[in-house]
Amino acid sequence: MVVANPILYVALPLLVAFLLPLFGKIHKELIRVVPGLLFMFLIFNTVVLFSEVTSTGKPIITQIAGWAPPIGINLVFSAFSGFIAGIISIMGLLVWVYSYKFKKVEFDNSLKYFVLIMLVTAGSIGVVLTGDIFNLFVFLEIVALSSYPLVAFYRGRDGAEASFKYLIVGAFASIAILLGIVLIYSQLGTLNMAEISLRIGEMPEKIKITAFILLFLGFGIEAEMFPLNGWAPDAYSQAPGPVGAVFASMTAKAGIYTIIRLVFTLFDIDAGYQLLLGMGIITLVVSEGIALRQEKLKRMLAFSSLGQMGLLMIAFGINTKAAVVAGMFILFNHAVIKSLLFFSGSYLVYNSENKNIKDLFGFGKKLPLTAFLFGLGAFAIVGLPPLSGFWAKLSLLMASADSNLIALIALILIVSVVEIVYYFRVVNGLYFKKYTGEFEPHKPSWNASLVMLILAAVIVTVGLYPDLIYNYFVNAADALMDKANYIQNVLPSNFVGLN
Amino acid sequence: MKKIIIILLLAVIGYFLADIFFEIPFGEDSMVVSKEYLDKSPNDLHVANTVTSIVVNFRGFDTLGEVTVLFLASTAIGSILFRRRKVHTKLNPQRNAPHASRIVQISAKILFPLIVLLGAYVFIHGHLTPGGGFQGGVIIATGYLLLLVTYRKFSVSHSSLTWIEAIAGVTFAGIGVLGLILGKDFLENFLPVGTINNLFSGGIIGIIYVAVGFKVASELTGILDTMLSIKVDSEENEQN
Repeated sequence: MVVANPILYVALPLLVAFLLPLFGKIHKELIRVVPGLLFMFLIFNTVVLFSEVTSTGKPIITQIAGWAPPIGINLVFSAFSGFIAGIISIMGLLVWVYSYKFKKVEFDNSLKYFVLIMLVTAGSIGVVLTGDIFNLFVFLEIVALSSYPLVAFYRGRDGAEASFKYLIVGAFASIAILLGIVLIYSQLGTLNMAEISLRIGEMPEKIKITAFILLFLGFGIEAEMFPLNGWAPDAYSQAPGPVGAVFASMTAKAGIYTIIRLVFTLFDIDAGYQLLLGMGIITLVVSEGIALRQEKLKRMLAFSSLGQMGLLMIAFGINTKAAVVAGMFILFNHAVIKSLLFFSGSYLVYNSENKNIKDLFGFGKKLPLTAFLFGLGAFAIVGLPPLSGFWAKLSLLMASADSNLIALIALILIVSVVEIVYYFRVVNGLYFKKYTGEFEPHKPSWNASLVMLILAAVIVTVGLYPDLIYNYFVNAADALMDKANYIQNVLPSNFVGLN
Repeated sequence: MKKIIIILLLAVIGYFLADIFFEIPFGEDSMVVSKEYLDKSPNDLHVANTVTSIVVNFRGFDTLGEVTVLFLASTAIGSILFRRRKVHTKLNPQRNAPHASRIVQISAKILFPLIVLLGAYVFIHGHLTPGGGFQGGVIIATGYLLLLVTYRKFSVSHSSLTWIEAIAGVTFAGIGVLGLILGKDFLENFLPVGTINNLFSGGIIGIIYVAVGFKVASELTGILDTMLSIKVDSEENEQN
């Protein structure tokens, strides 16, 4: 028996999620402990698999039910997909540590919370690892269906509204994706992504473009692309604090992954990259513009998160190797920094009724650690040296310079100024405004502080020594852009029509 | 005006989509993988119902995902509405309302075991005849729905539903992991396949479909029970 296997990313969380109600009957504390052990195992799994991929230089292909692709479903753990799966599982562990004491009082509530967190993690990793387009659809459904109840977890009126909005938009996304898959299957008779990628040219032009648009639309909703992201700010701001971090570091990552796979591997048409670039620019400009006007902290963070997704789309839309490497860097940063901001931000507005930015004036003295870490996250995300955000933005700017996209450089810099304005407004309020005394500051529990400190340490370390992690981004970019290699590894060597 | 523009826009999009979808040839042979399914299902797996072998074996991973989606749906309904379930008491006026008429009560009593039997038959024979775990599970849930609407005081024990749900789910995922432990692939068959058309044929496919049947039946029954108790709650709120 192999100890580490990509299939365990999905199989074990499902197994534990089904078993968790029974564990709860044995001992109440088990519903908190067991998910943590699971996340630790997933990280161990990542380390073993990743070192194998790095040493052999080839992706690990796992077939399911004993059928080789394209007959059966397969998982592809490459330097690209494995890297994202690794980020998601590490963030899963951190979210678990952060929310270990969450809902300590009510048993039923915390049981459901941990089941949902495990399944949203398993779903996001499944989306990233699968090599089958219908299987990808199934995992997107798992992600969506575990996100809806998480948004409405506090059972307030606003939470229900946000969740319902997400549900309607998500249902529309599912229909669009399913129709796109139907079109592809009707023409090519296969659901395996490698085979689709190989034979995409056989599709009639008209059907091919329609399928692309339908899939782009559906995946765009999951990736929070403007103007399909109306659900996102509500969902981010209504969900419990750690869930905001889950959305930023897991579901959004799964969403952007689907778009990248669609554009890079499945279709690989020039118009696709340009569309991605264009949508990225619009998403970036609009979201950051709206973020500037937000009065509520979590909504501001949500719009800033959408802006980051736009930046990601731009990086991947440029489609040069330097830009894709920058994109991987931004993806990593977004997961780490945005989670830190959500973790610390939700403690800053813990007791505030409306979660307004002006409610946290003067908290720099009341909650020194939380406020400092929030400030660090804010400085990192706008890209101040020597924090990790600086290197990501710098490499994106250099990549656009290489591609002669001077206007884009100007645009990104202008948007960065906007970012600086609204983040510094908060930091300024934290340290230089007088405490109103209206709201009692709420001290973070020790486990929450630990998580925030770990994230801050990552930001500073990567900022000082970007070389530590830079190679992973380069390998990931190589694995993503080498489509022929992907097809060759997945399909059997004697596959007809392999060139 | 805005509405008219939206309708026109939708009509245009609908027209073009329909145009594209009518271009898909009907019944023409562009199948690549499905030919393999038709060939391998009776010959390698010894399963008479090809649909079942596709759902549980070739694309069994998708089915595990779909079972999880159902599990999530029932968890979600439970987690959003769970506080209201406590209203489920004898003091509730709706619960004290008279039962359905005598005729309905007696017929429900006669029909219920038959419905459950049919459901069990459908999922136990999922690999031989049309139907399977999902269909059988839904049939059993309709049996419980009949009891829930006939007898006002009838309620399902959520604790036993949880047990059935958990054991069934663990059977499905556990069989998959057992394959891994035995050195095969996840969800790969490790039992003898038997003779085609016998009840004990197809290896793990039959076992998985029975587990799916139990899981679907318990989850849908749980959802129905939760939903019915909410209705009671909202009416009570109106009275207050």
